[in-house]
Amino acid sequence: MRVAGRKSLTAAQQFVNLRGNPISRGAGELHPGRLTWRYSATPFPLGRDYDIRIEFKQGNRPRIFVDGPDLPTLAGGRRIPHLYQQRPPRLCLYLPRTYEWQSWMRLDQTIVPWTALWLFYFEEWLASNDWKGGGMHPESDDDEEAA
Amino acid sequence: MNYVDPKLQARRTQVVEVLEMVCESLELSNSQFEQAKQRYEGVGACLAGSDNPVLRAITIYLQGSTALRTTVKPIGVNEHDVDLVAHVPDLDVEISPAALKKAIGDCLRANGNYASLLEEMPRCWRLSYANEFHMDITPSIPNPNCQFGGELVPDKKLKMWKASNPKGYKQQFERRAKLEPRIRLRKHIVVDSARASVEPYPEAGGFKGILRRTVQIAKRHRDILFIDEPDVAPLSVIITTLASRAYEWCITNHEYDNELELVFDVVGHMPDMIESRHVEGRMQWFIWNETTAGENFAEKWNRRPERAEAFYAWHRQFRADLAQLEAVSGLDRLGDVLKGLFGSRPATAAINTLTERVSSARKAGNLRVAPSIGLSVGAVPASTSVRANTFFGSNR
Repeated sequence: MRVAGRKSLTAAQQFVNLRGNPISRGAGELHPGRLTWRYSATPFPLGRDYDIRIEFKQGNRPRIFVDGPDLPTLAGGRRIPHLYQQRPPRLCLYLPRTYEWQSWMRLDQTIVPWTALWLFYFEEWLASNDWKGGGMHPESDDDEEAA
Repeated sequence: MNYVDPKLQARRTQVVEVLEMVCESLELSNSQFEQAKQRYEGVGACLAGSDNPVLRAITIYLQGSTALRTTVKPIGVNEHDVDLVAHVPDLDVEISPAALKKAIGDCLRANGNYASLLEEMPRCWRLSYANEFHMDITPSIPNPNCQFGGELVPDKKLKMWKASNPKGYKQQFERRAKLEPRIRLRKHIVVDSARASVEPYPEAGGFKGILRRTVQIAKRHRDILFIDEPDVAPLSVIITTLASRAYEWCITNHEYDNELELVFDVVGHMPDMIESRHVEGRMQWFIWNETTAGENFAEKWNRRPERAEAFYAWHRQFRADLAQLEAVSGLDRLGDVLKGLFGSRPATAAINTLTERVSSARKAGNLRVAPSIGLSVGAVPASTSVRANTFFGSNR
């Protein structure tokens, strides 16, 4: 697939980049055309350590889950902003169908930093109940749509 | 090469930054300081211009925390305390404390600018500038018996003069505050031998002065802990004196991996600077003013031992609470711990400053993510920049 003249990265290429970047140091499985990557992320030096899982299938948008600690428990019953679903929490990191993320972009240079940023504003939201990271909340979404 | 866990190092650097933010929210700002200076210089000119020959050579200068730049806003009031000395240099002890105090009060009361602001206190005059300062003006004369050039100020009952040396104390404190600690912070450290080696988390400014910041957080912690029983709270001069002596001792004898480790060590050694001995079967405590003879800052402890107990109780709690700060996990938890230590206003101010720093770096395009420490402003080796994004969402 070609987007704006640049070639989409394969799951294998994304896998190698995730493995090679020290900010996403972790482990995963590579299958033909898809990958799972797990790593530990912290938003800032005094932040929690979160277990992050990236699911990526070539031709689709990446799906980012927080497997632990349990975010709804931390939220104490409040509805967490900027998630596609509350449980398991799946992060909404960028505006779909725009140029923020495209299939030629490296996950370790987009999704992984955005996840740290999301977690930072999440921890701040836990205290203030006010999401300070900006963004959009549409009425409905089409998260399964291909990138 | 010293191995220092980069995550621990980054945590400690972050705690130092947060304490810095807490102190900034509690102290007199530079503009408030300038305003205070203008106000007290006006008072000085008013007194020196008086018809009373006693006051002709009077000088006004700062003492206490404003002079030392260790101010902490008092809890529950809008005014900072600004302590001043009105010193009459050409007098001997022939004038009584009450007479000198009265001369100063008469002069201020005769001035239209000050009459309505003036309040009489047992040992001094107070000018209350609403929402700005309480300016306490204490009379003083030279102490001919002090080898350090000290002064005499009224005792509590305004009957006698007693030795003090605000200028000498300030010089001593400033000398210590200027002493540079040996911090190994910048040493190259290994993250993982197989991967990149990185410098520690960037020191965004660091402490403006470790001694001053230690004094400020200690005093604020004391204010919070003794909010319901302020009369047994350890005096600021005791906290300041013990911290400054411990600071000099620590940096003379040790080097440290980071500033927080030094703060912990200074706090830990504060009680070592108290002299105590059994006198006639009772414990007596001495914290001597090193800049004048005969002033024991712990004098009240010897009449009311519960004050000594309160000091040691505060000290134990302060150490435990600082340790808790270092172990915190989560920005929300950090806010909770800061609230417990320093009160909700400075806690919220610090969290907001931290959040604002991330948001403005994000906007400016210089926010990065570094291995094992997360978001970081500016260049850090082995880090990845955070590109522009728009968080999205679902209402499902």
